[in-house]
Amino acid sequence: MALLSEVKKNYGKLKNYVNGEWIDSTSGKYIDIENPTTGEIIGQVPMSSADETKAAIEAANEAWWAWRETPPITRARVFFKLKEVMEQHFENIARIMVQEQGKTIDEARGETRRTIENVETAAGIPTLMMGYGLEDGGAEGIDEEAVISPLGVFGAVCPFNFPAMIPYWFWPYAVAAGNTYIIKPSSQVPMTQNYLTKLVEEAGFPPGVLNIVNGSHEVSDTLMEHPKVKGISFVGSTPVAKYIYKKSAENGKRVQAQGGAKNSLVVMPDAVLDRTISNMLASFYGCAGQRCLAGSNLVAVGDVAEPLLKSFVERSKKIKVGYGMDESVNMGPVISAKAKTKVIEYIDGAEKEGAKVLLDGRKIKVPGYEKGHFVGPTVIDGVTPDMKIAKEEVFGPVVGYMRMNSLDEAIDFIHSSPFGNAASIYTQSGKLAREFRYRCQVGNVGINVGLVAAMAYFPFAGYKNSFFGDLHGQGQDAVRFFTDRKVVITRWF
Amino acid sequence: MVECDFPECNTFGSVIRFALELEKGASGVYEELAREPHAAPAAETFKTLAAAHKKRGELLEFTRQQKLNEMILEPIQDMNGKNYLIDTRTPKGVDVKAAAKFAGKIEETSARFYLDAAKIAKMLMAEAARIMDRLGKESQANKAKLDAL
Repeated sequence: MALLSEVKKNYGKLKNYVNGEWIDSTSGKYIDIENPTTGEIIGQVPMSSADETKAAIEAANEAWWAWRETPPITRARVFFKLKEVMEQHFENIARIMVQEQGKTIDEARGETRRTIENVETAAGIPTLMMGYGLEDGGAEGIDEEAVISPLGVFGAVCPFNFPAMIPYWFWPYAVAAGNTYIIKPSSQVPMTQNYLTKLVEEAGFPPGVLNIVNGSHEVSDTLMEHPKVKGISFVGSTPVAKYIYKKSAENGKRVQAQGGAKNSLVVMPDAVLDRTISNMLASFYGCAGQRCLAGSNLVAVGDVAEPLLKSFVERSKKIKVGYGMDESVNMGPVISAKAKTKVIEYIDGAEKEGAKVLLDGRKIKVPGYEKGHFVGPTVIDGVTPDMKIAKEEVFGPVVGYMRMNSLDEAIDFIHSSPFGNAASIYTQSGKLAREFRYRCQVGNVGINVGLVAAMAYFPFAGYKNSFFGDLHGQGQDAVRFFTDRKVVITRWF
Repeated sequence: MVECDFPECNTFGSVIRFALELEKGASGVYEELAREPHAAPAAETFKTLAAAHKKRGELLEFTRQQKLNEMILEPIQDMNGKNYLIDTRTPKGVDVKAAAKFAGKIEETSARFYLDAAKIAKMLMAEAARIMDRLGKESQANKAKLDAL
């Protein structure tokens, strides 16, 4: 099977997009962007300075009032145009993502679809941000209403695992609601957002409404400190999410900060094994395990443990690892050499703690891609709740296989985790499923679904150390995060 | 001869790619048959079928773009692409009967591929399964049309 072609071999030095113009960074500092599959350098991203970030904030603030005065239906029309342009460029968006992030083309197409779905949902803004009122709500002859208003400039600090979609959990809702926006893409995967922003430009958003500032913590810190920025959205690891939450709050900003995860998939004895395994493979190995919703612990309850393990390992062996531009590949590499080392250290550590590596992805060789950061599917048996591998986020294609005696024990184990992103149960029993969804203290619950990825019109939830804030990304939550309610009481003499 | 590059069918994308190659092969074969002098009485039928298969390719690309849900992108097993390979070496100098027989085999294989793919896709992506089912039934109808030539 021939590989799909790359959009470009090399994207050169990326620029920032500020006030409707593509401008070179003045910092003079660039870092390389690596294709994690081939090891090739495919571009360079600037490390923009605090001053450059401040200039973008000023531009966004300048653009705000005119955009705020643009009627919601007119703002929505620009999003309809953006959707149309994105559909035309669908395949290019997906292929750039494969090239810079390493995911498979199916995963990249799926992510592109979800990115567009957020644009489609945000285009419903005239309905989404309607207020409410009550005649004589204040007293006889005094009416009261709550109008929903935008606030100004918002910013997002984004991760590497979903280069297209995650910024779109936020900015379309913010901008559709009448705010202006600054995105700091991940410096490991900035090209997808760069390409998408060219489409934003083509769609006709006014200058300054959406801005892209590439860089690192200097950009993030400036966004969090600047008085004209009203709120920050973040997705990444828990330590950084805590830092972002604290620092932004100290500066009086709204925050939604999505952190790490340690998701358990619980299989009950009555589960339909064949379907369950297929679904779990997608959860554990999809995006090489680098999803905050990826399965990490496989918890077998009761006598399903042995047959499940045997079949799961057999099916895991069939996962085809390679370059995502090959449509028959099931799994690509992890993002970097550093990430690979970290994943391998977790596997080594589990072995030292007494677990048994039944399927070992540490030494995988992918012919033709010797410089790729591959870790093959890995299944570790005999994992117990006290082991590091059972507790910490690995962010790689590693399955910790655990055996428990009851659903109670499995739920207690899920609750022992400091994370609360997702948990799933596989069962044919409505009673057990109901009990699981009712009791589990996690933000996303799956019933026979191992990848509980909320659609654009639902919030991407998260509890405990997996989320800091109260209003989530996507849908109505996002609209509420990016707006405030203004109460107006009216009386006429 | 129409060059096709059939992948193994183990992912949603590769199943769609396989289908696209089937459509490219079928369309190309019909175009070549339409130019066969001894099969001239059926040239219009072959041209129509060539155009129909091109359109089916567009529908498949639309399906790949619009009907994909990354939440349920499960690996596909039990679908061996080798069972659905088609012969795209269009015979030369054939009459209507022989041309229809050759094309009929392609439609028969395509129908089998799509109907099998629909069964598998139904468990993963119901919307895509409906398209596969429709294409399978269309291929069965095409086969019947060719048999009547």
